[in-house]
Amino acid sequence: MDYNWDFSSILLYKQLFWIGLQNTVILGSVCLVLGLFFGLFVGAARFSGKLWLYYPATVFVEVFRNTPVLVQIMWFFFAFPIIAPFRIDAFTAASLGLTLNTIAFSSEIYRAGLQSIAKGQWEAGKALGMSYSEQMRRVILPQSIRRMLPAFMNRAVELFKMTSLASVIAYGELVYQAKVISTIEFNPIETYTTVALVFFAVLFPMTIIVRRFETNNSVGR
Amino acid sequence: MTEVLRIEGLRKSFGDLEVLSGIDLTVKKGQTIVIIGASGSGKSTMLRCVNFMEVPTAGRIYLETQAVGLENNGTVQYPENELAKLRARVGMVFQHFNLFPHMTALQNVMEGPRTVLKCDLEECQRRGKKYLKKVGLDWKADAFPSQLSGGQQQRIAIARALAMEPEIMLFDEATSALDPELVGEVLETMKELADEGMTMIIVTHELGFAYAVADKVLFLSEGRILEQGTPSEVLTYPKKDGTKNFLRGHGTFRLPEPQIE
Repeated sequence: MDYNWDFSSILLYKQLFWIGLQNTVILGSVCLVLGLFFGLFVGAARFSGKLWLYYPATVFVEVFRNTPVLVQIMWFFFAFPIIAPFRIDAFTAASLGLTLNTIAFSSEIYRAGLQSIAKGQWEAGKALGMSYSEQMRRVILPQSIRRMLPAFMNRAVELFKMTSLASVIAYGELVYQAKVISTIEFNPIETYTTVALVFFAVLFPMTIIVRRFETNNSVGR
Repeated sequence: MTEVLRIEGLRKSFGDLEVLSGIDLTVKKGQTIVIIGASGSGKSTMLRCVNFMEVPTAGRIYLETQAVGLENNGTVQYPENELAKLRARVGMVFQHFNLFPHMTALQNVMEGPRTVLKCDLEECQRRGKKYLKKVGLDWKADAFPSQLSGGQQQRIAIARALAMEPEIMLFDEATSALDPELVGEVLETMKELADEGMTMIIVTHELGFAYAVADKVLFLSEGRILEQGTPSEVLTYPKKDGTKNFLRGHGTFRLPEPQIE
């Protein structure tokens, strides 16, 4: 072992790492919020049993679930200028790819969660005179979201790690910054180790929270 | 006595299978109607057609002499919002209680007034407490369903339906899922309601209870009313063979009356 670890060069670039971390968090958060929001509608469409909603939603889910996110991101970035009369920037392309992917996966979590609620719960709401949306809002979602939370938390952790794929189209998140720093300083081992540590420091608390939810999930039923 | 509910020529098919083949029934205010019959005779389906949990294939239903649905060139349309309004006026109690597990007992009972009737919070709480008290469970207001026995859960479910202050209550085998020792408290609650003049239709296998509370007993067989009348006419002196066979099956094993010495 004669490799000379030298983290001093890293400290010189802490500003760049900081910007990278901010960009990672921004990209991840935007995609998470949009993905979970639209995922509910896609999941509900798959759940509804109405064929004209089910088929388009299913095609969407399968396309984005079964192609690599890396390819989706590159595709949006490079193909958009060809098929549409405008370019999109790296952030938009990355968030499109990651959001659509998150919609596809989260819609499946919603669908499975909705299906896990017994038919009698819908009937009880209906018998009181609730409309479909009232049954959904007051009876079904409050119960099923509780069951979905651990899966969503896992999805969020995955998503934050996937933001690193945006580095291939030069979006300045953590891994891209690491790439820049390591080509200037020739210290890829130190920079990528630092990136790993930063990710770990952010995501490990999240997984702890996931575990909390999994154990506390039984409250109320 | 004023008419609360009238069923005319009710038919219901699931695919090729006709479950109800023409049912007529008039229920007057304060009456308790008990429906008995073998499983598959259509009694639950009949009950579920009254509040349109199942939409009838043919026939009309009148609540307080108002026909449900819009007739248009011989076919009847049932707009979902009209059905929701109807269901708000008809209480239903299910075999498996179907309480909302994420709400306390009180919240369960308040839910209908709150979400459907849009009562203000104070009124909802007043009704919630009133009807919990009525079923004798005001002391369990803050308990979740999972912390209650089956009998208590079913009584909460009755309170939840009552809180809507319905014109009529439907009980779909309300005691069939209960352990034997818990059946009594639920039947007791139902009997109190009947005594207070609530209009009720009850589907049950508890023949002794039927005898005690019913103003009228219907015996359903193959989607038709085979026999109807007072409890004594139908349960003690049945005329039709179908009714006799059904009752004989129920009476095969009976405890002997205690001998008084």
